[in-house]
Amino acid sequence: MIPVAVVGVSHKTAPVGVRERFSFTNVEALALLESLRDYSGMTEGVILSTCHRTELYMCPGSDFDLLDSAVSALKRKAGDLVGGTDQYLYHYSGLQAAEHLYKVTAGLESLVFGEAEIQGQVKETYDWIRKSSADRPLVGPILNRLFQSALAVGGRVRSETPVGKGAASVASVAVGLARKIFGGLENRTVMILGAGNTAELVVESMERNGISELLVSNRCLGHAQKLASRFSGRAVHFTEMSFSLKEADILVASTSAPYTLVTLEGFRDALGGFREKPLLILDLAIPRDIEAEVGGEPNVFLYNVDDLKEIVDDNLLNRKASIPVAHDIIDESVSSFLDWNQTLEVVPVIKDLRESWDQERRNQLEWLWQKLPNLPEDEREMVSGFSKRLINKLLHEPMSRLKKGVGNGKGEEFLEAVRYLHDIQDLGSENAEDSESDLGLGHSD
Amino acid sequence: MQSTEVYLAHLAHLVSLILYIGSLVVWLRSLVKGGRGSDPSVAFGLASLGVLIHVYALIVFTSSYHQLPLTGIGPSLSSLALVIGLALLGTIVFGEGRRVGIVVIPVMIFFETVAVVLGVEPSFEVMDFQGAWFSLHVMMAFVGFGGMTLSFAASSLYVIQLGELNNKRMGRLFQFTPPLATLDRISRVGLVTGFVTFTLALVLGWFWTISFRQSLDQLNPKVMWSIMTWFVFFGVLLTRSLSRMKPQRGAWASVLGFALIVMSYIALRIFVSTRGFFL
Repeated sequence: MIPVAVVGVSHKTAPVGVRERFSFTNVEALALLESLRDYSGMTEGVILSTCHRTELYMCPGSDFDLLDSAVSALKRKAGDLVGGTDQYLYHYSGLQAAEHLYKVTAGLESLVFGEAEIQGQVKETYDWIRKSSADRPLVGPILNRLFQSALAVGGRVRSETPVGKGAASVASVAVGLARKIFGGLENRTVMILGAGNTAELVVESMERNGISELLVSNRCLGHAQKLASRFSGRAVHFTEMSFSLKEADILVASTSAPYTLVTLEGFRDALGGFREKPLLILDLAIPRDIEAEVGGEPNVFLYNVDDLKEIVDDNLLNRKASIPVAHDIIDESVSSFLDWNQTLEVVPVIKDLRESWDQERRNQLEWLWQKLPNLPEDEREMVSGFSKRLINKLLHEPMSRLKKGVGNGKGEEFLEAVRYLHDIQDLGSENAEDSESDLGLGHSD
Repeated sequence: MQSTEVYLAHLAHLVSLILYIGSLVVWLRSLVKGGRGSDPSVAFGLASLGVLIHVYALIVFTSSYHQLPLTGIGPSLSSLALVIGLALLGTIVFGEGRRVGIVVIPVMIFFETVAVVLGVEPSFEVMDFQGAWFSLHVMMAFVGFGGMTLSFAASSLYVIQLGELNNKRMGRLFQFTPPLATLDRISRVGLVTGFVTFTLALVLGWFWTISFRQSLDQLNPKVMWSIMTWFVFFGVLLTRSLSRMKPQRGAWASVLGFALIVMSYIALRIFVSTRGFFL
């Protein structure tokens, strides 16, 4: 059994109004983790808190009530919710918890299927908790291994499958189209008609990609000014819209007008019959703001909301087609994590065995020093060094085979034999977390 | 000693051809993957290595035979393939624009294969064909063809990308193909460079003919083809300038112009093969 558990809420179980109640800042997350470690027997813990999920990953140590303590802590954080908190929470333990983190990191559990942002969020969270708890680490060998392998799985799934390929939102499709027409958004002027939510998202995304100027035109100049100020743009009176159209490289139309705002005739009049540079028009309004025939004009690329959604749906379909391959990668990694976890059982046995042999080595050296009292100091050091190397050499092969054997499912049998042959008491796995790297387990697979 | 150098030149030609083929395979794989990952860089890297080895092959050829590889069909085609390859390397400044390699490399492979099959052997033309004026004339003409090939490659991809945008498809072809603006720029640079150098080549050719042959044989198929090629170049440039509103017309003109030049050359090779000196 892998000693890992996860409890949390996500966009799949809770609406945004509930999710935001479970949201943690970095400082809050650290405080809760320290409290669970100090008072509830948690040995390791990480809280992943993003817009779409809050998840507490933990290693329970010997206290089996940890899950209850963690759930209670999350409930306290969320406060009173209509219908209770339990309906929104989920929890997994053991292999399922590891598998869940792998899926999350690979973007298979994301709201926008396959999005890559989550990989960065997992890495940031893991790095932050590790650095912030350097004095008394909250991330030990198990979560260290789990998060590192999860990040590797995320990378593999993205590079070996089309899970993150193709724009998956109207805003990213719009940016993708603009890039394929203009080569980049630098030095481009974007004009926005109206102020729908999707249009704002598109403009936000384009601004992040470096557009040089934003023109906002609205029937209500006040609304236009408000939106323009948010993006450091310029408000344009609706009556001057035709004139400003000449300056634009990209037009985002999103008004709630019940009729067509830009007819073919009006468009031709506005441009004075000549347009040398391309114009990308994104008509996000319903009913449409731009007459379809405008799309037939030279150098004009017109996309309405259905066109964009169709592209998004196609891309999402392509992404989802990669699920079986992504699951194969995850299964392989879960299995590898399980093998690694089994080798942890070997740690206390190897440690005890090494200590017992080392004690015997020291005893024999004491006996030798008594027999050879005149042996010079430098020669004593040479003999002592030789004895250490000999012990290491003699233990190396059996210990490697023991680790491999445990990884191959013969763990209990092998460990019992080693304990019997070397008269080692079964101390359980309480020392498992002790310096695994000293024993070379970090490289066992 | 000379036979070792000849062997090295042949081997280097073969290796460069293999690298070009390898590059094409990686470009095609990249197309299937929608241009993601490191494939475009690998493909461009293989092509660059091929060009380097190709340069070495022609240097060895020149030092072995004490003759520039500009006369005889094998060496000429090899040099032409190299000039096109160098033009491709120049596209590195256009970022994603280097993906025109997927069209340019097959043209290079074609010329290099014909050169290798026919043999990159020295010609024994009269000394007139080996002077500096003649060499400069041929070099200029090759740079002109290189520019035209680059323009053709960029324009072909432009037409494809335009089709994808107009048909609202954002599949792998759309993802792989560079932006319209980049392709338009590469096509324009290739065409203008090609036109200027080809015009200079014709002037040098005319000067050389007048100097050494005293008269210009206007019915010579090479002369006819060169003049026709110049007019095609001019026509393509004119179409581009007159249809600024419709860059797709300019792109189509580049594609059709290149096709016309290549097809007329093949026709002349077939029907006027008795005039052995033709390229």
